[in-house]
Amino acid sequence: MRKRALLWVAVALAALVLAPWYMEPADGSVPGFWLTRVINPLESALALGFGGRLWLLLALVPALAALKPGEDVAAARWLTACGLIGLALVLAQGFLIGLKGWNLDMLSAFGSGPTQGGMGTGGFLVLAAFLMLTCAGLAGQGWCRGDFFVVSAIGWVIGLIVLFVFMPVLNILASAFQDNAGHLMPALFWQKFSDASIWGLGCVTSGTACGVAWNTVFLGILVGLSSTILGTAFALIALRTSFPAKGALKLLAILPIITPPFVIGLALILIFGRSGAVSTFLFQWFGIPPSRWIYGLPGVFIAQTLAFTPAAYLVMLGVVQGISPTLEEAAQTLRAKPFTIFATLTWPLMRPGLANSFLLGFVESLADFGNPLVLGGNFEVLSTKIFFAVVGAATDQGRAAVLSIVLLSFTMMAFAAQQLWVGRKVYTTISGKGDAGLQIPLSRRVEWGAYFLAVPWGLFTIAVYLLIFYASAVKTIGRDYTFTLQHYVTAFNIESGANGLLFSGSAWPSFFATVKIAAIAAPLTAAIGLLTAYLLARQSFAGKRAFEFGTLLSFAIPGTVVGVSYILAFNVPPIEITGTMLILVICFIFRNMPVGVRAGIASLSQIDKSLDEASFTLGASALTTVRRVILPLIKPAILASLVYAFVRAMTAVSAVIFLVSAEYNLATIYIVGRVEAGEHGLAIAYSATLIVVMALAIYLINLLIGERKIGRRGAAPAPSAPTATPVPAA
Amino acid sequence: MTKAPASVEFRNVTKAYGAVVAVDDVSFVIPPANLVTLLGPSGCGKTTSLRMIAGLEMSTKGQIFIGDKDVTHLSAADRDVSMVFQSYALFPHMSVLDNAAYGPSVQGKPKEQAREMAMDKLKMLGLDGMVNRLPSELSGGQQQRVAIARALVLEPQVLLFDEPLSNLDAKLRRRVREEIRELQLRLNLTVAYVTHDQEEALAVSDKVIVMSNSRIAQVGSPRELYEEPASLFVADFVGDSNLLDGEIVGEINGNARVRMGTSEVELPKGNAKSGPVKVMVRPNAVKLHRTQPAEAALKARVGKASYIGKHMEYTIETAVGELFVVDAVRPDAWKTGDDVFVVFDRSMVKLLLA
Amino acid sequence: MRLFPDLAIRTLCAVASTALLSAILAGPAAAQGQVTVYCSILEEQCREGSALFEKATGIKVLMVRKSTGETYATIKAESANPKGDVWWGGPGEAHLQAAEEGLTEEYKSPMLPQLYDWAVRHAEVSRFRTTGIYLGALGFGINTEVLKARNIPEPKCWADLLDPKFKDEVQLADPNSSGTAYTLLATIVQLFGEDKGFDYLKGLHKNISQYTKSGIAPINALKLGETGVGIGFIHDIMTQKLAGAPVKAIAPCEGTGYETGSVSLIKGGKGTDAGRKFVDFALGVEAQSINNRLKIYSMPSNREVVIPPEAPDFKSMKFIAYDTAKYGAAETRTRLLKKWGDEVKSLPR
Repeated sequence: MRKRALLWVAVALAALVLAPWYMEPADGSVPGFWLTRVINPLESALALGFGGRLWLLLALVPALAALKPGEDVAAARWLTACGLIGLALVLAQGFLIGLKGWNLDMLSAFGSGPTQGGMGTGGFLVLAAFLMLTCAGLAGQGWCRGDFFVVSAIGWVIGLIVLFVFMPVLNILASAFQDNAGHLMPALFWQKFSDASIWGLGCVTSGTACGVAWNTVFLGILVGLSSTILGTAFALIALRTSFPAKGALKLLAILPIITPPFVIGLALILIFGRSGAVSTFLFQWFGIPPSRWIYGLPGVFIAQTLAFTPAAYLVMLGVVQGISPTLEEAAQTLRAKPFTIFATLTWPLMRPGLANSFLLGFVESLADFGNPLVLGGNFEVLSTKIFFAVVGAATDQGRAAVLSIVLLSFTMMAFAAQQLWVGRKVYTTISGKGDAGLQIPLSRRVEWGAYFLAVPWGLFTIAVYLLIFYASAVKTIGRDYTFTLQHYVTAFNIESGANGLLFSGSAWPSFFATVKIAAIAAPLTAAIGLLTAYLLARQSFAGKRAFEFGTLLSFAIPGTVVGVSYILAFNVPPIEITGTMLILVICFIFRNMPVGVRAGIASLSQIDKSLDEASFTLGASALTTVRRVILPLIKPAILASLVYAFVRAMTAVSAVIFLVSAEYNLATIYIVGRVEAGEHGLAIAYSATLIVVMALAIYLINLLIGERKIGRRGAAPAPSAPTATPVPAA
Repeated sequence: MTKAPASVEFRNVTKAYGAVVAVDDVSFVIPPANLVTLLGPSGCGKTTSLRMIAGLEMSTKGQIFIGDKDVTHLSAADRDVSMVFQSYALFPHMSVLDNAAYGPSVQGKPKEQAREMAMDKLKMLGLDGMVNRLPSELSGGQQQRVAIARALVLEPQVLLFDEPLSNLDAKLRRRVREEIRELQLRLNLTVAYVTHDQEEALAVSDKVIVMSNSRIAQVGSPRELYEEPASLFVADFVGDSNLLDGEIVGEINGNARVRMGTSEVELPKGNAKSGPVKVMVRPNAVKLHRTQPAEAALKARVGKASYIGKHMEYTIETAVGELFVVDAVRPDAWKTGDDVFVVFDRSMVKLLLA
Repeated sequence: MRLFPDLAIRTLCAVASTALLSAILAGPAAAQGQVTVYCSILEEQCREGSALFEKATGIKVLMVRKSTGETYATIKAESANPKGDVWWGGPGEAHLQAAEEGLTEEYKSPMLPQLYDWAVRHAEVSRFRTTGIYLGALGFGINTEVLKARNIPEPKCWADLLDPKFKDEVQLADPNSSGTAYTLLATIVQLFGEDKGFDYLKGLHKNISQYTKSGIAPINALKLGETGVGIGFIHDIMTQKLAGAPVKAIAPCEGTGYETGSVSLIKGGKGTDAGRKFVDFALGVEAQSINNRLKIYSMPSNREVVIPPEAPDFKSMKFIAYDTAKYGAAETRTRLLKKWGDEVKSLPR
């Protein structure tokens, strides 16, 4: 504890003396060389503090106080107190003293007050050091069995979630109770909340439309069910059958995950729309008049099922793989028929996975807005309503917040129902006892059922993707089918100029920014997600449930609202990061983290806790245990969360639409612009390029992570990814 | 071994999960180089106690010492203790060698050295032929040995066993428990051993700590527990015993006169004073006679006679209740329905407070 | 001690990653030599415009393209610490709303004398917080192939669209989400009077196949043949026609309304001086001629811009005297939108 304390005091002091406290130099000049953002004693808290910003010197007090020696519990308490006081002081000065003086009206008695900008390296390092000191103190008091890694992990994750999820989100949700001028109006909330356009039952009682709330829930349940069923079918085929075209089917199962928004919707219109391929065919050959059935519930349902089945598949893959064959063998020796085994054993053991994948599908359907936007027709859902409450002709942030609260309460209910269904049962199937069973083949009935679902869906997926690539290489889809690469040239032209290659295509800047941001965000997202899963599954601490829900919060809230809430929260000091790459990275991390959390929890619930304990008693710290025992055993979850984080960062629209800047524009925003301009060819060509890039990235991630080997007989020659198939290792 | 074995001491240790108390104010000492068993029915707190020695659970109150060191607040990784788990807890993704080398390698030993240390112990347990297999490719007994080897590699001050034999068949169980005892004596280890099987406990231990309802019921050598149980619970739980109702009616030469049914017997008094008592009679403390012997005897009849091979087992019906009796196999063994006279071997009869 | 190196490594990692984060933090610093433009017209227009401005002034342009609604929401959310300097393009109503809420700065550009009256009037209405840069006439487009296949005669007037033959053939955006559709709502109300106007909208409602979310969606559907008639801006329909789609733009015979594309100076931006230069530039001949090159035929606000012959003939169109002051005000807007939602949209079809 002492060494840790000294180390972090040293970090705090170094940051106070050496690192620039603010993001931008206090005099408003332009920061020069990038290194001066990290080391610049002239802009440090110490220098600025003695230069008149006395409040910056306050942080020195707890930092120095933490140096008080001692190894006992009392010393640990002292350390905790120093850390907490330090955190409080730094945060308080940041939030109280803003760009234009005091941030709190009460303080205006003391004049207009000093001003300051957003914190920079120095500020953040000092905050981190105080957090670590607090954690070191708590670990010294025996929290979490005295494991510093666990305490500090909890400290970090909670700190980050409070800062980047709770603070912005609660702040904007509060506007549900305010009028547009910011006055508190609880009555207004009720008025907006009870609006007939939300809860109306017109579709049951009369010929008009139902309230958006009902539409949304109905769609969410349908999509949750359909994606879970299809995902399970694909997972069963991939792991438990000898289907001949297994590789191809597995590829198809995850292909839609790598599809930029709008593209599926556009493709569906091109197939099933009134002038689409199928409709035209049906009209010409069977005289069935083309109709617009695709616009509305059916279209959104198909598009969302297509889009969210991969997530379900990835979750189910880990779960089906984790089911101990011994259990099924045991059932077999008890004379159970294959179908009975499936119904009484395999299926119940898959419950945590099924519940997780349903929850994912449901929540994603609720949050998705690209597909309803393109295909919704007159079928309205909350996400689009919220989007247009923010950006529409009648903007009303309060209404957006009210609708978000409705949406959020549905997510909460789904979460509660999932907890109820999975319950407290134990689903451990990877125990420390070597498990040598052979996975029994599926019952015929289940096997054919899975084929029946998965094969047509796979064929449909092929059709959609062929069409996307076809459409990207013809002049105007639907009109002029002349082959052309013009769209690709416009987007990705490269000229060789005097100074080497010139990336003159209009898509290059957004393309590079997108790949860079996704590559930075994905590993961080997966790491934080899995770390959180580990804490939730393996550690017990106060407020765990609230914490778990918090991790779902930013995922469940519509992107539009998150985007606006991020601007409101992070456009002003102390954390002023709008316009930077960081805000995009952070937004991606906290929006996409829940996938890692869900996959991680599902995976961890199958691993016997005594494996962790064996590692502890052999002298490994929690960190080592995670690295050497847990991580190799949850490879499927790592894969799922990495892939998902990367892909979502490449394809997100709604939240980032507010966060992109001139320097960091994103591919999807560019595509949306093209779709708006009616340049479908260019939009589809860009999307097709992104699909290829993401497929490549997934393949690389696959190579990097490798397979989980737990030596189950017969499971061995897993059909690992051969060249060029972005299939997650089974 | 390079390190001296250490003692383990609990001082008034309590472990509570909310309102549920799993271990209640328990104090005991495991002397260095002893094999001490924590024995008791399931839910008595023995496994929790073991996990507190390991550092897998933190005590709510009290102190825990290993050697002279207060380890109460140390995490498992910082204690010089290894554990063999009931489920073995072998890492399924690592080979036997990697499992065994895990300890030294996470302690920062170079790979080569860690492997050497692992091989050393694997050889000792006769596993050197299968070091590259995965745990799933081993039999139950082999997995058990790997688990022990892995725990031994670090040469811990204290080695813990949590019901290590429960997944083995009866024959193997006897062999492995003897191996464990032999290993402990050879390597001069301090071992804490949790089991619910009293026979196992008596067979391997230097000392047994009997636990019941989160508390210690009795601490003693196997012989003391068997012959001098401190309570009805211990008498019943450790070894087979007949517990008969009786009443102390007087005293003769420092012995108690106990009335059992219609007859009276003279028995060592123990800590019973007067009034109703339980008379504990071990099955081998009952001598059967065909005719009325010289000393006081109960009249009885043989209810059931079973031939077990190494000895005979009888159920004897008496006026004070049924008796379970073990006797040597003799040509003239008793048969069901024989009338007999029962005499107690006083050294193996004990009066306990009812 | 194994504790120490392990700990040191961890600490190092933590410090290094924090440092890395700070390096990523490097945001666009505000400097005199640059201007941040929120651009709500098409991507190419934005790009060409910034390139021209950079060449002419040497001031670097940081351009962010977002739709009108997104830009408005961004400016509003950022108002405590504005990050943009200029808002370029997008219908006048949104700019007026921003002006009304004090999000934009008053600026009387020296270019005003060069502008048509309607653009100057627009500036006056906003108390010079925004100025008109182009005029987009509202109308509808028809897909000639679809109408031919369904044997429907070409409509010429707003009233023609009420014909039951057009049932399920008309697309219009939802005025609650789309500024374009709100312009139509206000136009119809001004053209026919409020009562008759709403009667018209109720009649039209019977023929609407779908109220799309975005204003441009009906035109895109028109291009794909998903609808026979799409209501939107004539210049957007022209663009599709020039790209080869079988569509035709119609300027309704009764007369029509229009949007006044605008440019505004954002209040409190860090590059306000450069921003003023950009506003001047946006009102100038050079910037307003970009559209001719890109074949986007809205009506420029600068009198000196040469209008190419292939552009729609604005003189032959009948325009109403669009009352931006009244119909751009939040109060009227909220009332009309609510009325439309209650009386028109909720009707069964």
